[in-house]
Amino acid sequence: MDLISTLVINGLATGMLIFLLAAGLTLIFGLMSVLNFAHGGLFIWGAYTGVWSYQLSGSFIIGIIVAIVTGLLLGLITEKLIIRPVYGNHIQQILITLGFMLVLQEFIKVVFGPNQIAVSPPAFLQGSFYVGDVIFIKYRLFIIILGLLVYFVSMFILKRTRIGLIVRAGVMNKEMVQSLGINIRLVFMLVFMVGAALAALSGMLHAPYSGVIYAEMGLEFSILAFIVVVIGGMGSFSGSLFAAILVGIAQAFMAYYVPALSLAVNMLLMTVVLIFRPQGLFKAKG
Amino acid sequence: MNLAKVEKSTWIYLAISLLLVIVPFIVTGRSMQFIIIQFFIFAIFAMSYDILLGYTGIISFGHVMFFGIGAYSTAIVMNRFDSTILSFILAIIIAIILAAIVSLIVGMLTLRLKSHFYAMLTLALAGLFLVGAEKWRSLTGGNDGFTFSLPEILRDSQSLYMLCLLSLVLIFFGLRRLTKSPFGRVLMAIRENEKRTESLGYKIVHYKVIASVVAGVVASFAGVLYSISLRFVNTSVFATDMTIDVLLMTIIGGVGTLIGPIIGAGLVEFAHHWLSSLADVHWIFERWIILYGIVYILVVIFFPLGIVGTIQKKFFNRQNYQKKKQQNPRRKLDEGRKEDEDELYRNG
Repeated sequence: MDLISTLVINGLATGMLIFLLAAGLTLIFGLMSVLNFAHGGLFIWGAYTGVWSYQLSGSFIIGIIVAIVTGLLLGLITEKLIIRPVYGNHIQQILITLGFMLVLQEFIKVVFGPNQIAVSPPAFLQGSFYVGDVIFIKYRLFIIILGLLVYFVSMFILKRTRIGLIVRAGVMNKEMVQSLGINIRLVFMLVFMVGAALAALSGMLHAPYSGVIYAEMGLEFSILAFIVVVIGGMGSFSGSLFAAILVGIAQAFMAYYVPALSLAVNMLLMTVVLIFRPQGLFKAKG
Repeated sequence: MNLAKVEKSTWIYLAISLLLVIVPFIVTGRSMQFIIIQFFIFAIFAMSYDILLGYTGIISFGHVMFFGIGAYSTAIVMNRFDSTILSFILAIIIAIILAAIVSLIVGMLTLRLKSHFYAMLTLALAGLFLVGAEKWRSLTGGNDGFTFSLPEILRDSQSLYMLCLLSLVLIFFGLRRLTKSPFGRVLMAIRENEKRTESLGYKIVHYKVIASVVAGVVASFAGVLYSISLRFVNTSVFATDMTIDVLLMTIIGGVGTLIGPIIGAGLVEFAHHWLSSLADVHWIFERWIILYGIVYILVVIFFPLGIVGTIQKKFFNRQNYQKKKQQNPRRKLDEGRKEDEDELYRNG
């Protein structure tokens, strides 16, 4: 019993990290129909800058803030320099974002060195506690709570505020939004920045969870995010939460029982979804 | 065969191939010969990629899996059986059949999806193959890989050079024939406008699947040559870096042409060699992938047609201009005839 609950908590925590990465991806795709292959690069930059400032200042909160700021800035740069010249051309977008991913990944090695960096959770999140005979590891609980918080705040913004309304309308029909006198390019930029910040936050939170960071983990992790986006339905925010939890839990169980197949099971999940529901489990709604 | 019908460019390509036959007798340094061999192999790989990207407009980020299938099946066959020519041929057959089966299954499952999904799915699939090669230690030796022995004739650098050159030339002419055939025209039509091609009655998924099988088989053959040129195989043949290399070669050289990927492969291969030797000068050259990435981004933004494509466009524009000039008198003639007809009507 406690084994299963531990695995479920592990899966939820992994799922939340994937969700943070996939949320930006799916929103950017829904709004701008840009599939950002550089998202994993934003993830590692968040992780490295966050960890660097966390180890320098000793404060985990500062690390998180630095990661988010890095994400916002990198998102701005990416949107202006990389995405903007190739709007509307899918093939070029896919090619160029992959190239940028490569540059981001190699630049990490230039700035922070090619070696792995070990990270441990901050003191107030270390350790675990029991409820009954179920063990709760504090850091994982923290990730789950933060992930849910991000989800609810984002949902609130999307459903209850004017900017959220514009974003949802943009997902449905961008030309119409533009013709109503709204600067959709500015909205694109903001959404891209927020998506990048979520990816960076995910990277920062992932660092103490896995205990070590390295430059290649961006691409590895973003493959999971792609799987999630496909399963959840491109452009669907709630769908990506659901799919991320599904993938996270499947990953956790397979990693325990049949470690060799943990990636394969997610690929299988994606293949099945693609064959029977190519649009994903959830449809993108306004 | 009517020699007059053969295009002028065919003679040029044949002449260049003959020149390349002489090269190993002039360049006798083993390391330089090795670099040229690698260039041939990657040229084959890049051409196969261009069938997808340049001719059909499909972006695959997992093309490296076919390359890896070829490399591993050769290595495993040569390792398990005697190192004779016969087992080498067996290795080639196995590599081609495996690649055909995998590309057929992957193609049928995914090619009906939009380009985004296909790119993501192939990236993930290649990742799966990489993990598989790392985990299935009894067969692949894991990350460290393994060496294997080759029949005497393939160990000789000179004959390996000839084998790779011959393969390159044959595959080049074969693919050129393919792309100029009606089948190739349909592929290009799919690239230009998928919906219109479909409404003209072509089953585009069939065409795409066949294109991906052709590309997969050729890539697998490149993998075979790659592993025998190294006499060693490890998981790096499945690495994403390899896909990115081949993307770069195709895009720099020129998508939608077959000679483009060959030129791109040469540029990347020699630049790679040259930049790594510069690593002693400055540490930034150790991270040459950054330079690659930046060049790649600039090419995608500013020269989406690549070297050959850009030159061709300029050349053809001039040709078209001249054609228009030539056509102009005829147009006047047509107009004159029309006026005559009008006069006839009026008189009649």
